[in-house]
Amino acid sequence: MNKMTDIDQKKCHPMVGVPIEKLRPKQVRKNLELTLWESLYIFEIIRGMYITTRHFVLNMIGFVFKPKGQKRRIFTVYYPEEKVTIPAAYRGRPVLVTWKNGKEKCVACGLCEKICPANAIMIVAEERDGSDRYPSAYTLDMSRCVYCGYCEEVCPKEAIVMSAEYQGLAERDRSKMIYSKEQLLRSEESVKDRIEYIRRIYSKCSY
Amino acid sequence: MLADMIESIAKILFIFGMNIGFFAPVLGWVERKQSAVMQDRIGANRADIFGFTVIGLFHSIADAIKVLTKEDFIPTGANKFFHTAAPFISLVPAIVTFCVIPFGGRYTLFGHDVNLVISDLDVGLLFIFAFSSLATYGAVLGGWSSNNNWSLIGGLRASAQMLSYEVAMGLTIIGVLMVYGSLKLTEIGVMQENFFRWGIFMQPLGFVLFLTCAIAENKRAPFDVPEAESEIVAGYFTEYSGMKFVMFWMGEFLEIVTISGIVTTLFFGAWHLPFITDQMLLSFFQFAGSNGASILAMLVNIATFFIKVIFFIWMQMTIRWTLPRFRYDQVMKLCWKMILPLSLINIFITGLVFLR
Ligand code: SF4
Ligand code: SF4
Repeated sequence: MNKMTDIDQKKCHPMVGVPIEKLRPKQVRKNLELTLWESLYIFEIIRGMYITTRHFVLNMIGFVFKPKGQKRRIFTVYYPEEKVTIPAAYRGRPVLVTWKNGKEKCVACGLCEKICPANAIMIVAEERDGSDRYPSAYTLDMSRCVYCGYCEEVCPKEAIVMSAEYQGLAERDRSKMIYSKEQLLRSEESVKDRIEYIRRIYSKCSY
Repeated sequence: MLADMIESIAKILFIFGMNIGFFAPVLGWVERKQSAVMQDRIGANRADIFGFTVIGLFHSIADAIKVLTKEDFIPTGANKFFHTAAPFISLVPAIVTFCVIPFGGRYTLFGHDVNLVISDLDVGLLFIFAFSSLATYGAVLGGWSSNNNWSLIGGLRASAQMLSYEVAMGLTIIGVLMVYGSLKLTEIGVMQENFFRWGIFMQPLGFVLFLTCAIAENKRAPFDVPEAESEIVAGYFTEYSGMKFVMFWMGEFLEIVTISGIVTTLFFGAWHLPFITDQMLLSFFQFAGSNGASILAMLVNIATFFIKVIFFIWMQMTIRWTLPRFRYDQVMKLCWKMILPLSLINIFITGLVFLR
């Protein structure tokens, strides 16, 4: 594990891939000469056909008698009908989080606008009742966004987070991909998991 | 006279309906679905009519509509005549060869002698070889006339491969001819009534060699070098689209059926059930009267034959989705250095044992 993912909190041990000590590379036979048995082909072909047929038969049985806790033996998802649960680490469409009263958390500090590598964000700041700052216009050009998540990382108020929304991101017309503030507002409740996740991850990294 | 004509027309309609109406579209579906399930995928299942997908079977209909409405493209510089003729040349032999394969025995129906083969040629086996070598021209002409380098390479590979395997295939069959002493497929079929006289027991080596040669002749994986997608786009039919492309494709599928038919006839007892002679079948159905017994026995035999054919189709599909492609020199080496000597040895041994 490298330094970035080695987080001293017990709760969070993000592990990517197989740990190195569990990787046991298979022994590969290097000499390319076939043995007599293999150069007869027939028996090796029958062995190969046995493997494919076994997969075929087991999968066919799996369609009828469903294995425990699974819908079928093949783990492909029938996409529009079935959907996978998106993990909290997933970076979907960036959305603006609101307070309970429906007002956006954003204070129009402009950090996200500044950090955005694709120049996708445009903010117009204004004052409300002579005290709070708020963005009177927050335009997010999703035809430019690269889903890097920098805006979320840099935001001091947890006002913009990467939600789990992955549908309806593409349009036939680019002008429809420019979202206004009203289109991006989401309640705090709907992005709860992600906020928890970024608190856990970003608070531990020292820059 | 009239009865003969009706019989012929009925047989022709049956075989062609079976081949073009049933096997060609269904094999397209099987190839997709079987390979998918074999590789832990799901496969085509999106085409639906009123929400019914029938496990992807409607994709064949969708395909048909697609190819019929597609542009028929002829590249500039292509030889128009040969470019158009090539798919026909490769499809027609695949259909025609099935007419000498018997799919049932001889029956007496209402005093009329019915022989379940479209054309009972004395030289049936030679006819099959003659026509299956014609299919080579389809591939070669298609590759040559397309004015495309990939096609040309594909065509050249096809010509060399198919001609080589033609030789080997001819030799592998000679063992069977020596055992049964006939080129007439119906006679070979009749002689396999006894389970232990099936070709597979007489010629086990011949069977393996013949199947290998037949798959190579049909240009399917692991011998699909003429159309190797990863090397030369699609080989000799790179420049084909729409209906002509489908004719190549259908020719390939129908040839699978034909190969299965030949293998069944020569090596797996044709239309006979193991351990059950035609006479036993007739006496078993005696309760239905003599005509009824004939009809029932006929149906049982036809069903037996097609079940065997379907088994071999399935086997060829499995081989196609199991094995990787041979390298081109390996294909040639396999033919000239392994199959040819082995088939000669097979002939020699057969001669020692049977001719005495
Ligand atoms: S995710 Fe990255 S590209 Fe998209 S708006 Fe945020 S900072 Fe810009
Ligand atoms: S960084 Fe956060 S608070 Fe600042 S402008 Fe962007 S969304 Fe608003």
